[in-house]
Amino acid sequence: MAEAAAVFDVTQEDRAAVLALSGDWPVDTIAAAEHGMRELETSLSPGAVIDVSRLGRLDMAGAYLIERTLHRIGGAFSLRGAHANAARLLDIARRATPEKAPPAERLHGWRGLLERIGRAVAAIGEELIESMSFFGQTLATLAGLAMNPRRIRSTSIVHAMEEAGLNALPIVAMLAFFIGLVVAYLGARILGDFGATVFTIDLVAFSMMREFGVLITAILLAGRTCSAFTAEIGAMKMRQEIDAMRTMDIEPMDALVAPRVIAMIVMAPLLTFAATMAGIFGGLLACWADLGISPVMYFSRIVDEIPARHFWVGMVKSPVFALVLTVIACKQGLSVGGDVNSLGRHVTSSVVQAIFMVILLDAAFAIWFLEMDL
Amino acid sequence: MSEEIAIRVRGLESRFGPQVVHRDLDLDVKRGEILGVVGPSGSGKSVLLRQIVGLDRRAAGTVEFPYLEAERREPRLGVMFQDGALFSNLTVLENVEAPLREHTHISPQLRSEIAGLKLGMAGLAPDAFVKQPAQISGGMRKRAAVARALALDPELLFLDEPTAGLDPIAAERFDRMVQELARSLGLTVFLVTHDLDTLYAVCDRVAVLYNRKIAAIGAIEDVTKDAQGWVKEYFSGPRGRAAERAAAAAGG
Repeated sequence: MAEAAAVFDVTQEDRAAVLALSGDWPVDTIAAAEHGMRELETSLSPGAVIDVSRLGRLDMAGAYLIERTLHRIGGAFSLRGAHANAARLLDIARRATPEKAPPAERLHGWRGLLERIGRAVAAIGEELIESMSFFGQTLATLAGLAMNPRRIRSTSIVHAMEEAGLNALPIVAMLAFFIGLVVAYLGARILGDFGATVFTIDLVAFSMMREFGVLITAILLAGRTCSAFTAEIGAMKMRQEIDAMRTMDIEPMDALVAPRVIAMIVMAPLLTFAATMAGIFGGLLACWADLGISPVMYFSRIVDEIPARHFWVGMVKSPVFALVLTVIACKQGLSVGGDVNSLGRHVTSSVVQAIFMVILLDAAFAIWFLEMDL
Repeated sequence: MSEEIAIRVRGLESRFGPQVVHRDLDLDVKRGEILGVVGPSGSGKSVLLRQIVGLDRRAAGTVEFPYLEAERREPRLGVMFQDGALFSNLTVLENVEAPLREHTHISPQLRSEIAGLKLGMAGLAPDAFVKQPAQISGGMRKRAAVARALALDPELLFLDEPTAGLDPIAAERFDRMVQELARSLGLTVFLVTHDLDTLYAVCDRVAVLYNRKIAAIGAIEDVTKDAQGWVKEYFSGPRGRAAERAAAAAGG
């Protein structure tokens, strides 16, 4: 029994109009009849007879469509003919038809736009204050742990070091290697025009040590580790695991935030070191292949010409970046609400804020170091 | 009640790796009945539901819907998952509209009216329609999930632990709502539960899943009369006897 289209027909009999329904009227087929039924609302007069004797299958949706039409016309109707469930379903539809649902509160037009802008600005302000206070809370927790080292959770720290640090090593090193390679090729090209190709070595070493090594590491950690931290903590928050910890007197700051912060502060400088070395190695390959500078000459020039302070300028930034990144990630994770949407939103803002802060801080560092003549 | 078979399971075998959940399981669900499926935790009640619905692959056996197939209609199933599984980025009303939007071509106006009708039938007030699933109580979420399961007017309704986590009054109301819907719409209901009150109050027949098979099936009096082992323990424990007394008091 394939489904026949929903069809109706109005005929005028001597006493009243007759609405004869035929075909199947389940939810799949009533779309065809919907428009016609709406027109009936004005053309059919109250007191009509509904003939269901040739009606096929009917379900709640079909019954509702019929009942709605009848309801809008008003007046009483009589049913004619036998059908398995038409009378019953029409009756249910009549009784269960709900009042109109209140519309969702949404503002439109200029007022809506202005209100949304205002709310967004206020939310940024709130977010800033919350993040600052969370940062302070984290520092206080770390200080507390330093006073009382037995509260430090070494297992969690080592686990986070492996997940966020060691496992990130290959990708960090590879990216830095390629950046070093590209910088060297660029330098060879441009400095070659001035006959100063040997300064390519200075360019690579200088930029990798001061900026690129630490920046690539920080941005990669923001994308790779911040999102993971936020998602982990956020999922725990959603499943009420954080609340469970609190009831057991386990401070999430101690158990979740501090180990991650410590692990990142330890691992970020190591990763930065690896990135710097990989970048310099990339530059070496480019210089060797393109300019014919031998590795021995490459290294001796770095040792002779580049002061070690450039290396330290880069390295000293990395624990600061690590601290900021992890605090942002953990804060966003703990702000996740009860639904999936908020998890997605907070993971996004975790990564965006982290990268934004890294670049902002890096600019601040650059200006500061320059003014300090470092 | 007619004796047509709505769901026929034959020789079902399901496994997770080496662990066999069901072996050679046979089950008939009659059209228009409410079948309660019970069994100890881990006996594979929810797995059986997932197998019939087609969410999991079965290792062997067949699942047929003879009544609907005889009429050459696609078996359309409504499933309510344990915690509702409402889409959390949609409002309650949009959740019920979602299947209608996918599968029919009716106008948005009629669609939202039908969704509202289903929610009303499941006992939700209109002010809950525009809320997000996270903003309503667990009991309301379950009702909304039933409304969504019924959105396309299926003839087969599957409920997984519908009263778990509800207070006794809410659970009883929910039971009554399921029973009324099933009777008035002529639904066949496959109900997985742990709730003895639900079994006594709502179910026409009870199937006991034990030791990878249907250990007993029939009206609840018949199943409890000559029960053995786990089944006996289950129904004749203090909770079982209390539920039986409550059902007898309500019936008499």
